[in-house]
Order: sequence, then C-alpha cells, then structure tokens
Amino acid sequence: MKKFLTLYILVFIGSLFAGRLLLNPLHFSTLSKTILLDVRLPRIIIASLAGAGLSLAGLAFQNLFRNYLAGPNIVGASSGAAFGAVLAILFFSFNPLYIQLSSFIFGIIAVTIAYKMSKLVGNGIVGLLLAGIAVSALFTSMVGMAKYMADPYDKLPTIVFWLLGSFSGMRWKDLLFLLFPISIGITGIVLLRWPFNILSLGDSEAKSLGLNVNIYRKVIIVLAALSVSSATAIGGIIGWIGLVSPHIARLLVGYDNRRLVPASAFVGATLLLFCDDIARSIAATELPISVITSLIGAPLLILILARRFKYVKN
Amino acid sequence: MLKIKHLYFSYDKKEILKNIDLQLTGGIGCLLGPNGAGKSTLLKCIAGILNPRAGEIQLNGKDVEKLDFKERAKFVSYAPQEFSVNFPYTVFEIVLMGRNPHINILEGPKKDDVEETKKAIQTLKLAKFENIPFTSLSGGEKRLTLIARALSQNGQLMLFDEPTSFLDFRNQLIVLTVINKIAKRFKKLVLVSLHDPNLALSFCDKVFLLKEGTILKNGNTDEVITEENIDLLYSLKSRLVKLGNKRFIIPEKLL
Repeated sequence: MKKFLTLYILVFIGSLFAGRLLLNPLHFSTLSKTILLDVRLPRIIIASLAGAGLSLAGLAFQNLFRNYLAGPNIVGASSGAAFGAVLAILFFSFNPLYIQLSSFIFGIIAVTIAYKMSKLVGNGIVGLLLAGIAVSALFTSMVGMAKYMADPYDKLPTIVFWLLGSFSGMRWKDLLFLLFPISIGITGIVLLRWPFNILSLGDSEAKSLGLNVNIYRKVIIVLAALSVSSATAIGGIIGWIGLVSPHIARLLVGYDNRRLVPASAFVGATLLLFCDDIARSIAATELPISVITSLIGAPLLILILARRFKYVKN
Repeated sequence: MLKIKHLYFSYDKKEILKNIDLQLTGGIGCLLGPNGAGKSTLLKCIAGILNPRAGEIQLNGKDVEKLDFKERAKFVSYAPQEFSVNFPYTVFEIVLMGRNPHINILEGPKKDDVEETKKAIQTLKLAKFENIPFTSLSGGEKRLTLIARALSQNGQLMLFDEPTSFLDFRNQLIVLTVINKIAKRFKKLVLVSLHDPNLALSFCDKVFLLKEGTILKNGNTDEVITEENIDLLYSLKSRLVKLGNKRFIIPEKLL
C-alpha cells in the first residue's frame, strides 16, 4: 500500500504545479499563493475524493453483482444525479449549490427507487440489476427530454457542459458540501473490505458462511450511493473511473478485497487527479473531464483485459 | 447430535420437504434419493440458507433455527454441490473465507485465522496449490478446497452436498476417504448427500432414504440398503451381491 500512497503523493505534488500558470517554487507572489491554496489545492482534494469514491463504488458493485463490468451507475445513481442537476439548471438561475443539492438528492432517489422496485422483478441481486437498468434508462430519457426543452442559447450549453463533467471553479466551499457524504461512503466501504470477499461468493454461500446478506447488501448500496451521488453532484458525470480503477488495482494486488479496496481507492484518486490535471492544462480552455477519463480509461481497460486474457490462456 | 423434528419446506405453494424427522448421533450420515427428492433443500435448510416453513433443527440440544447467521455458521459448515466463483481468488483466500463466522467483520482475519487456514490446507494436502487461483483447479482439487474451507469453518456439524458429483472414479474415492478421515480425526458429525448407494455402503454409518420430500427409511447402512428399499427408492429392480466381506448393489432393469 506504501507504493500506492507514494505514487498518489507524487501526482498530488505534481498537480499543484500543473496548469497554465507556471509557479516558481522559489519566488512566491501573492497571486501564485492564491492560485496554489485557493484554486488548485481544493480542486486537487475534490478530484481525489471523487476519484476514490467512484472507484470504491464501482468495486462495491462489482463485488455485489459478482460482475467485472458493474460500474457506479449500475443501480441508477449517476443517471438520477444527472437528472437532478439538469432539473436545477432548468428551473433555477445558475447556482452551483442548488445544482449540487438537487443532483445529490436525485442520485439517492434513483437508487432508492431501484432498490424498492427490485423486490417486484426478481430475487436478490438479479432483481436489483434489472431494476437498476430500468431506473437508469428512465432518468437518462428524462435528461434527454430536458435537454430537448432547454433554451438552446442559455441553458443547453450549461447542461451539456455539466453532463460531461468538470472540476473547474472548485473552491473550498464546494469541498464542504462534498466532504460529509463522500467521507461516509469511502470510510464505510474501506471498513467493510473483508465482508466484500464473502459477499462476492453469492447469497447462499455468504449465508452459509455466517453473513447476514440482506443487511450488508443494504449498507453497501447506501455507502456506494452516497459516494456516487456526491461525486457526481460536485463534478458532473465522470465516466470510466469507477469501472477502470478497480481493474488496475486487481492487476497490481490481486483479488482479495482486504488489499483490493484500499488499492482501488488510491488508484481511483490518482487516476482522476491525473485526468483532471490534463483537463485543465492541456488546452487554452478547460476540457470536460469525461472526455479525458474516457480517452485514457478505454484504452487502459483494453490493455488490462488483454493482459488478463493472455494470463488466462496460459 | 443432530435432531430434526417435523420439518416442512416449500417454495411458494410447492411443498418440497414434508414432515422430515432425522437423527444423527455420530459418524457419517448419508442422504440417498433420486434427483429432486429434496436432498439439497434439506441440507440448505440445515445450513440456514433456506428457511423451513415449520419444524425444528437441533444440534446438541440447541435450536439452530433461533441463532443468527454468524452463530449458526460457527456450528454448521456447509460445502455446496456447485460452487462457482466469479473472481479468481486463490485457494488460500477461499479457505480463509471459511473463518468468516469467527472473524470480526470490521477487523478482518487475524493471526489465528491464518493459522487455522494453513492447518486445514495442510490436512487436505493442498499446500502446493495455496497461491493458485481456485478457478484454475481441476474438479477434484476444487472439492478438496471446499472441504478444507468447511474444516477451517470448524463447525461441529459438516454438510457436504453431493461431494462426489462431476468427479472421476479415483477422485470420488479420495474425497470420501478424506471426509471419512476428518469425521473420525476431528470427531465431526457429517451429513452428505450421495447418488451412488455403493459409496454409501462403503463410507457411511447411517443412511436416510429420501423420496419426494419424505424420509422413506432410515437406519444403519447395512440394514437400510437392501434390494427391496433401493427398488422402492429408485423405482427399479436391483440386486445385492457380496464380494468377500463387502456388499454391492447393482441396478438390473427398470420397472
């Protein structure tokens, strides 16, 4: 775990100096101090927390659904959060706090609906998967509807930019909003890393090994929903981090969740932070974060899967 | 001692187990019966995976139905008929998971859990597979790993659901020999389900014939496995033969 921490700290320090304004560590002006402490530092912390939260939520769902391809959105959290944000953009003048709040609340609402509906459509985890897909589709279509109805000159660009995700303009007050829910999510998932192993064996197995599946499943869904909803509320839709980071971590530490959970948290934080550095320094204007995460994440995933395939073949 | 009284189980309206009464005082007990007779369901009820509609399950006088999952898993080890892991955990990690009922959920396994796991792996002679992914093992090695997990779980009662299914001639023998050894050496109460009455004849002390969710006959193996009972159980015509001091039952024709 030391290696992961070291790598993260290196990227963290690098991030402080990445950006269009070059900082000279030997000559600190007031301006550079402001940029460093009030602009870059909060943004770095927010991106790290969001990355860790998304990665852990992805890992949690991969264990719960016993499927490598489960991502943070599998029970509808991101779609719900997207709809919440779009709703706030449509009906209120552009106020980040309203957007964050509405987005967070709708993320939680979407997961709650999926969970309640799951009992109607199937048993246990299969029901949840089906309900999650349906709820996700429902909110995605409502986002589409909202985009169609939005004022194309004023609201639509805001919506589109928000949906692509960005950490631009993040300040300490944004961190305050994020800190509480995502800390609960991250800490909870890290604490429950051992029972993840048991849960990933499936319901019957977990029961016979003495785990109260229903309670732990509920707790983990709540923790993951908190992480995804708050990360999405603050940064918009951020694709691929939650799916790819646990895979990278698996390559490095194996499958035992006792090591995999903390490793995934660090990989997620490092990866999203790195992507955000690129997003804010590569071009004259800020690039949306999802563009970068997909651009880096998709080839990474192929690389990882190719390596695993080779390993399986031998 | 395992004592089951008036146990009923149903999936929705369909009754699977009807008024099961069963007593196992020691050694290896065997559930024998055709496909769909309810063997797996009964084992799952005892393991706490399924909830019976009515009835009592007692282990050494204690009502296991009233225990929570964790307490119950300390007394009852269970190895399923089919075990598929989607993630390639190593053999060591799989066997370590058997320690779960003895582990504090938030703290994870401790030193003595690791030691118990190593011991179980040694007992089953799996040390060379310790760091190999479970998914890459052969059928026989997988079975032995599951038995090691049941051993590390350390239940007084051990349930093995068709431990010989999908195994070759030799591996069937290996698995049942190992189960027999564990039962004797660690003084465990073992309940297995089997498909081959001949394996029951060589390895089990007591046999319960299960058909359509009820217990047809039960008692000592030699008394229960007779031509008459086997014919009734499987609806066929069989013949019991003696070879030296061993007895075998051979199917002759369908009825």
